[in-house]
Amino acid sequence: MILGLRPPVALAALLAAVAAVIIAVFNWKGAPVTSETFLVTTYIGLFLGALWAMYATGLVVVYTTTGVFNFAQGAIGVFAAFLYWELHVNRGWHSILALFVVVGMFAPALGVMLDIVIMRRLRTASLVVQLMVTVAIMVLLLSVVGDIWEADTPRRVPYLFGIENGIDLGPSQLPWHRLIVFLAAIAIAVAMRFLLRRTRIGTAMRAVVDNRELAALNGARPNVVSSTSWALGSMLGALGGILIAPELGLDPATLNNVVIIAFAAAAFGALRNLPMAVVGAMLIGLLRAHTGAWLDFGPDYRFAHLSIAPLILLFVVVALPQARLEVGRLAHHLRRHERFTKWWEGLIGCGVIILLAVAFSGGWLDFGIWDPGAWGSRELNSANEAMAFALIGLSLVPLIGWAGQINFAPLAFAGFGAFVYLKLAGDTGNGYWILLVGLLCAPLGALVALPAARLRGLYLALMTMAFAQAMSLIFFPHSWVLPTIGVGRQFPHIELLGATFDDRRGFFLLMVCIFAIFVFGLVLLRRSRYGRRWMAINDSQAAAATLGIPVVWTKVVVYAVSAAMAGIAGVFWATVSGNVDSVQGFDLLIGFNIVLLVAAAGVSIPVAGIFLIFIPLFTGLGHRLEDAGNVDFLVTLLDILTTYGPGMLVLGMVFNPRGAIFEMGRGFSPILPWRSDARAEIAAENAQKREPEIGELGLERPFTPEEVIAIDRRLGILDDVVPKEGYGASRS
Amino acid sequence: MALLEAEHVVMRFGGVVALDDASVDVDPGLVTGLIGPNGAGKTTLFNVVTGLLPPTSGAVKFDGADITRAGVAKRSQMGIARTFQKLEAFNTLSAFDNVRVAVEKNHRTKWRHRRVNDVAHEMLGKVGLDDVADVTVGTLPTGSARLVELARALACRPRVLLLDEPSSGLNEEETSSIGQLLLELVADKGSDLAVLLVEHDMSFVMGVCARIHVLDFGKIIAVGTPIEVQADSAVRAAYLGSDEFRGAYVELDE
Repeated sequence: MILGLRPPVALAALLAAVAAVIIAVFNWKGAPVTSETFLVTTYIGLFLGALWAMYATGLVVVYTTTGVFNFAQGAIGVFAAFLYWELHVNRGWHSILALFVVVGMFAPALGVMLDIVIMRRLRTASLVVQLMVTVAIMVLLLSVVGDIWEADTPRRVPYLFGIENGIDLGPSQLPWHRLIVFLAAIAIAVAMRFLLRRTRIGTAMRAVVDNRELAALNGARPNVVSSTSWALGSMLGALGGILIAPELGLDPATLNNVVIIAFAAAAFGALRNLPMAVVGAMLIGLLRAHTGAWLDFGPDYRFAHLSIAPLILLFVVVALPQARLEVGRLAHHLRRHERFTKWWEGLIGCGVIILLAVAFSGGWLDFGIWDPGAWGSRELNSANEAMAFALIGLSLVPLIGWAGQINFAPLAFAGFGAFVYLKLAGDTGNGYWILLVGLLCAPLGALVALPAARLRGLYLALMTMAFAQAMSLIFFPHSWVLPTIGVGRQFPHIELLGATFDDRRGFFLLMVCIFAIFVFGLVLLRRSRYGRRWMAINDSQAAAATLGIPVVWTKVVVYAVSAAMAGIAGVFWATVSGNVDSVQGFDLLIGFNIVLLVAAAGVSIPVAGIFLIFIPLFTGLGHRLEDAGNVDFLVTLLDILTTYGPGMLVLGMVFNPRGAIFEMGRGFSPILPWRSDARAEIAAENAQKREPEIGELGLERPFTPEEVIAIDRRLGILDDVVPKEGYGASRS
Repeated sequence: MALLEAEHVVMRFGGVVALDDASVDVDPGLVTGLIGPNGAGKTTLFNVVTGLLPPTSGAVKFDGADITRAGVAKRSQMGIARTFQKLEAFNTLSAFDNVRVAVEKNHRTKWRHRRVNDVAHEMLGKVGLDDVADVTVGTLPTGSARLVELARALACRPRVLLLDEPSSGLNEEETSSIGQLLLELVADKGSDLAVLLVEHDMSFVMGVCARIHVLDFGKIIAVGTPIEVQADSAVRAAYLGSDEFRGAYVELDE
């Protein structure tokens, strides 16, 4: 132990400190450091830290008491901030009244509703489903906000008590708003700590997450407890959103991204330790404020000071002790038989995909929606985007679908692939370099997974998110990485097998072929020893380890494979638009949407990526309908489908974790002549639904009511049970 | 010399002492029993031995080498295989694939698909699961899934086999065939296998074990042959009122 820290933590802290000093020395701006400027910077840092601490407190409370890590925490804050604006600014309510209505009434109601409708059912769900569903709620809330409060009007949420009133601090002044925020955040954290540790409901809250049944036997009411947690978490998110909005402006995306910093702060407290989470938030706040004030990273690293949260998360992940492999937590039995696609079925499927693509794009199939004749450039553009996203989506199948690990950074890997390709083959467009792109992306995937692979899956998920953010803040904006010199096409048309794919239709068909190759490869991979091993790890890491399988290494390998696939997909993604801006314009929300759609489709199934086609397909359809005129309601309908569809589909995972394609496949497969097993399964299910005949029970006639009472008395269960009818008597 | 030794193992969870200076040794060529009332620390000892839990103090030795700090997978590669009291089968894989995962890792098959399949079928055959080889394990009854775990452990080419209540969920006939299988396995001179068996079914334990360790509140209170253990007053005190033990005692006396 060094200063009360375990040696690895002390080492990580030391390295981080040394790195910080080196970075600070080399990027010193040279502004004079006076006690006033230092003080002002510090108070800004503490204020920012306090806001993030509020979010982090909500996250920690919900996580310690329900076991669900709420990605929607930031979106709840966004919604609350807009609602507050509507009531206070737009409708002219008094700020205290508006605050009370939003934080005291709306937010707890939203929390309880989320708990009752969704979260309660997630208790035994896999991490993938839990995370996907909270991400879906996040996306849905943001879509609702975008629909209700359209972006074209500028909005401002005023400071509580105005910006000009406050304590004089010499060079500047400390507004009441910021002072109150700081004190409130501390008070809330202390109160929550007290609630969880010292009160009856708090003890019950912590007990329920450990063992729900046992806690219930001891008098805790699990449903009341989880609703309370969600109400509290939602209130904290709402309060944070309203208080931070005056600082950041009322923009959904900006406000939502605040939560990523809160994730890092919560991780600093190992997701459960409230005081440490608050310390983490303050630390990030101070670092942010001071780096912003004293350091200048130059134009190439102009966003570097924003990347402190991801770096803190990396530090935490490195410093955390290895997670124990959990045993005895395996969920209940499966109801259905699993069947893996045979290789020749995969081959047929891929052939069908290619034929359909040729037929559609050539205009040979026409359902009265499309104009006669081939697709126009607009449809082909949509289709090309769709195929690129579908390719990226496929990279998630082995990772999320089989190994049960989460990756929120498929776009970052794709962007890296595009960068590698640009450097390798930027001038020629020689398609054979694409293979090397895959090889070079794989180590990056391994590198991202390596620090977090020995921890619980949630940390890996957070780590990929931090990676995505760090890439978009530090890597992609660098002028050497993706130079934005001039306009026009920077990614040349791909040349492969002696052909240049410079027309949109040809490129579309090329991507469909790549898609088919990926799908077929996945079908083979799933049937191979690697696919088996990855699925084994998803089912039970402890058991896999006792068979001699190195669990951490296996996870790292899956990430490498996924990153390689995403990197290759990234080349096509970049080539669709041909411009580096599309790669640079990396957006965590688009990444989320890709992950969500693949998850909703059924992420364990190789063709799931094809679901991503729906977004541009709907858009393309919308264009056609607009051209036709007088179908406004249909256009609106399509709009709603594209905006809310992914989120709604993922919410369906609460009830059907295997995804939509799986269900469709179950309905479809009995038709296939060689699938007698599917027909047999359905027959067996129907047979189970049938109530047994009296004769099958070994009886000659149903029990009479008197006999039922006699039996109950004999079993000692009669006391408070009054049988209405004889059991089985109603059937005769 | 004992193949596997747990020496003075202490395992604390906060204020709870699950194992208190527990020492167990397992010899090759025979089945060693580990019995004790519920909550005595039997499964905790398994977790310590297989590396899933790091002990608070004490040592685990295998074949003379100290493996207290070795990882789970490493221990498995050395030859320690186990089954779980609460099922840890790969639910989404078929019974056959469950075993294949283990075969692929632990047999030098040089990528020969057929050889892997042969070994996997052989292991499934040993536990009598040939006819459900292609059934997804998650849909199998508990007893069968337990046998899948056993076949999977056997496919690891173990030198020590740790079985955590293999008979629960099995009927009498299946239990006795498992007992038979265990005796055959340890009798095989070529493999020189050691088995450590945690079991509640006393007649099963007394029937197959050559030596028995009795664990109570984390302490080893008796070691000896089934006859010696049953005669031990401390054991009788620990089990006082417990029908399972008295029943077995009477049965063996006859």
